[in-house]
Amino acid sequence: MIGQLLKGLRTTFGYIFTQPVTVQYPEVKRPVRERFRGRHELKRFADGKERCIGCSLCAAACPADAILVVPAENTPDHQVSYGERYAATYEINMLRCIFCGYCEDACPTNAIVLEHQYELSFYDRRDSIYTKEMLLVPEDQGHGDAPPILTQLERRPSPPAQIDL
Amino acid sequence: MADVTITVNGVTFRVPAGTNVVDAARIGGISIPVFCYHPRMKPVGMCRMCLVQVGTPRLDPATRQPMLGEDGRPVIAMMPKLQTGCTTPVSEGMVINTESDEVQFAQKGVLEFLLTSHPLDCPVCDKGGECPLQNLTMAWGPGNSRFDYNDKVHFEKPVHLGDLILLDRERCILCARCVRFQDELADDPVLGFDNRGRNWMIISKSDPPFDSKFSGNTTDICPVGALTSADFRFKARVWELSSKPVVCTLCPVGCNLSLDMRYDQLMRVMPRENGAVNDIWICDKGRFGHRFIEHESRLTTPLIRKGGHLVEASWDEALALVAEKLAAVQSSRGGSAIAGLASPRLSNEDLYLFQKLFREYFGSHNLDHMPGSAADVDYDEHGALMGVGKGTNLMEMGAESLVLVIGADPEEEAPLYVLRLRAMLERGAKLVVANMRPTKLDRSATTRLYYQPGSELAFVRGLLRAVFDRVGHERLHLKHSGLEQLRKTLSDLSVEQAAELCGVPAETIRAVAQALLEAKQGLIMYGAEARSAGAGMSESLGVLAALTGKVGKPGSGLIALLPGGNSRGALDMGVRPDARPGYAVLSQRGLGAREVWPALREGRVKAVWIAGLDPAAQLPAARAALEAADFVVVQELFLTATAKLADVVLPAASVAEREGTYTNAERRVQRSRQARQAHGEARPDWQIIQGVAQHLSELSVPVAVPTQRVEESSQPVGGKGKSKGPGKTTAVTVAEPSTWDYLTPSEIAAEIAERVPGYAGITYSALAATGQGGDWGRQTNEAIFYDGTNYENSEGIGIQLPNLIEGQKTAVSLGLRPLSKPAHERSLLLVSQSLAYDGDLLLRGSLLERQIPQPYVALSQTDADKLNIKPGDTVRLDSAAGELTLSARVVDDVPAGVALIPANLPNFSAAAVQTGPRTRVNLVKVVTG
Ligand code: SF4
Ligand code: SF4
Ligand code: SF4
Ligand code: SF4
Ligand code: FES
Repeated sequence: MIGQLLKGLRTTFGYIFTQPVTVQYPEVKRPVRERFRGRHELKRFADGKERCIGCSLCAAACPADAILVVPAENTPDHQVSYGERYAATYEINMLRCIFCGYCEDACPTNAIVLEHQYELSFYDRRDSIYTKEMLLVPEDQGHGDAPPILTQLERRPSPPAQIDL
Repeated sequence: MADVTITVNGVTFRVPAGTNVVDAARIGGISIPVFCYHPRMKPVGMCRMCLVQVGTPRLDPATRQPMLGEDGRPVIAMMPKLQTGCTTPVSEGMVINTESDEVQFAQKGVLEFLLTSHPLDCPVCDKGGECPLQNLTMAWGPGNSRFDYNDKVHFEKPVHLGDLILLDRERCILCARCVRFQDELADDPVLGFDNRGRNWMIISKSDPPFDSKFSGNTTDICPVGALTSADFRFKARVWELSSKPVVCTLCPVGCNLSLDMRYDQLMRVMPRENGAVNDIWICDKGRFGHRFIEHESRLTTPLIRKGGHLVEASWDEALALVAEKLAAVQSSRGGSAIAGLASPRLSNEDLYLFQKLFREYFGSHNLDHMPGSAADVDYDEHGALMGVGKGTNLMEMGAESLVLVIGADPEEEAPLYVLRLRAMLERGAKLVVANMRPTKLDRSATTRLYYQPGSELAFVRGLLRAVFDRVGHERLHLKHSGLEQLRKTLSDLSVEQAAELCGVPAETIRAVAQALLEAKQGLIMYGAEARSAGAGMSESLGVLAALTGKVGKPGSGLIALLPGGNSRGALDMGVRPDARPGYAVLSQRGLGAREVWPALREGRVKAVWIAGLDPAAQLPAARAALEAADFVVVQELFLTATAKLADVVLPAASVAEREGTYTNAERRVQRSRQARQAHGEARPDWQIIQGVAQHLSELSVPVAVPTQRVEESSQPVGGKGKSKGPGKTTAVTVAEPSTWDYLTPSEIAAEIAERVPGYAGITYSALAATGQGGDWGRQTNEAIFYDGTNYENSEGIGIQLPNLIEGQKTAVSLGLRPLSKPAHERSLLLVSQSLAYDGDLLLRGSLLERQIPQPYVALSQTDADKLNIKPGDTVRLDSAAGELTLSARVVDDVPAGVALIPANLPNFSAAAVQTGPRTRVNLVKVVTG
């Protein structure tokens, strides 16, 4: 009988002496995989210009209808992004989002990217709507150079769809 | 036309002869891609997208019969090169191949070429999602391009073609649809091509640029995103929009619109096809003039005057106060001390309830739908009495019809009629334009004539006499009275005398009369300038239609261009002091707006209820009267000058926030749907009226009316008070006291259908029928080619009312009032010109506001020389009524003897000088300094 008990607990006892797999969240945070899909970020070019051109393709691709983009027109003295158009409003409802990453796929300028932050909680459902200010990376944390064709500002051409940025 | 048999891709079917290959193939369910071809315009063969293989049966030179091959089938001679389908008409036995390798190679080639200079900025392009270039590239184009992206030409973008339309030259595929629309359909040839080769581009040739009332339509038909509207630019992506069917209330055409909404916000206005009204077009006023809906100055809550200030209040409070005050006036002074004015932009339901409340509860006939200025014209009866016959469809009219446009400038008064009339011309109709001054429609007219200013009545009498001389009354197939009197009136004035009075040669008058007699169908359209000659004008035109047999049948009759979107509805619903709904004349008339103002000041009228009109802005008399009034209720969209004088202001819902029906110039009743939620606490007008009625019944105010059952004959007003025929006294059912518990406007519409003569059968469900709304968007793959153009009409095309003659068999009075001798104590005739872009409140917040002119008076060169006036001089007008100072313009188009001022401008009123619809003035230059 004892023998059977020990046999049954063999695996349990075996684990007493191994490292635990759990981490002491929130004191300890587990690193995520490179392609983990967490909270979105709106990216910038290295020079600080917003990548988003307000085309709403992310919103169109979103299966959960979580994104609202209200576009507006760039003017020479208010040039938010390259080209003619930028997103005046960009909101994602994190309660609707299913973190599928379709928005990222749809974006022609790699502006919306699902990043590694996963701590999304709110006391009020209204707070689940992340605004453009919350999503946008700081101005000095842009990456990549805008393709030359976009930077010819005096002609204000629009960003082409198929160039890989 | 006879049918011919063709074979497309091996399928044989019959199509009407004369069809081009593109349309013919589509009849058989086979699509041929097109860019430059558009079914409403002549084909030009510019883009080569529609290349197909075409063959015809080889004919035996001897017998001219098709040669038969060994298999007994005709030998087909294929043309050596591909043909453009849009410019090739079908012929008997034609064989067409749209799928061969050669054709596909050509299609791919054309698309690849088009895309060599295309920027591919679909993500930021307003056309993206409804772009024929995208569609056709997906369906027929090459999968990739061999062209190096960096070699593409780039142009500065966007270029302003005008205030409203922007051009992106990189996207333009040079199909010339826009140019052709402006040239052929709108007759505003303001666009053109410039340069050549890679620099070939569209430019605007006019000053101011893109000067056309129809410019917005070019953005629809442009097959790419080259033309975009400043109004919709970068507002939304088209797939985010939901289209709400409404009816335009900005002019009497009543175009069918789609309000494209994103959630609750208006993004853009698009046409909705209705063959009988606007086809697939709308004018710029309709397209850009609906921004008032969301204007920040809209009223959101009821306001009550407390201690001299208007303060916010609840609906209950406001309605109770209105009911209480009106009931108090009624019990102390009687219902006739209350007056009501309702705007002709309200729906039939609102107008019906408004008059019902007044007539039932207050027993007051003091109702009107005009502001009560001296310049208000007489109520137009004949546009309903002798209106166009049921079943009239301008789309189907052409050869053998004639349109007489008299005293009207459709471009300004009802813009879309320009397109409709021009399309009729294209199909072979005749267009006679008679005016005192040149208008744009003259360019299209087959006959244009100018009568002396102020002599239109003489001109029409001349026409009448010429008709009478030729056919007498043999074509008069109507119940009528007063023929003897007509004979006598006409014998008083020979054609020659009339010619002398109006300055149009007698032969011309006879020729027009003759043409009108010869035409199978005849429309007579008259506008503001004709109506300002008085009721005698529409009466004479009605008799003209009757004598020429152009009445009571489809395609014939009168079309009156009245101000606002629903003046006809207001008249039909009896929002006037002298008739009940259905033009049933009252034996005892109430006060019209013009009489209300003095009555208010003298205390005969104590309270006034104004729905949607702003008389105080224009009329000093109204302002003074409203200040003197005991109690003023205003029901409005904005805090207007009138609303500022009110004791209670009630916020009304705009056309987009409610349902309703509207009656257009051709007496077509159309249903408009709700497109967005109420603005703030605003309520539909009918609900407001009902709310007051409910509060009144709580106060248990005795219902005033139903004492006399039939107090009037249903005979429409003919020659007022003269030689009326016996006239059938059909029972006009006076409403039983009703409970005022309509839940939806459709219940009111059902009551209208029951009670208002002519509206029988006009219920909401009947209005939803789509019948022959046109064929747009219903053919094979149509959307692929004409994406972004307009919307299919799935919500009902409306029902045309029978005119009163058809409907009721009432007798028409032929008696005419005598020609009055115009008094010429002052030298110039003051004519106010209706403008499309005027001070209409509804243009608030739109891009069109910039195009509203500053006040001016326009003179002919002759008069300017005589008076020594130069353009820009300040001049003083004086009339029997008063004086007015204005800056002068000297305009070629103004005839001598006329001083032309724009009607209804913001912050300007000609009331100071106006003595009536027509005023004679003297003009002197003001020397300053
Ligand atoms: S991750 Fe998926 S669900 Fe979330 S916003 Fe993007 S597309 Fe929508
Ligand atoms: S016109 Fe059509 S194809 Fe060209 S950028 Fe716009 S949406 Fe794309
Ligand atoms: S602007 Fe549009 S409609 Fe005009 S030519 Fe260019 S592509 Fe055609
Ligand atoms: S023609 Fe008249 S009804 Fe039609 S869109 Fe223009 S203003 Fe509206
Ligand atoms: S050439 Fe036929 S559609 Fe353009």
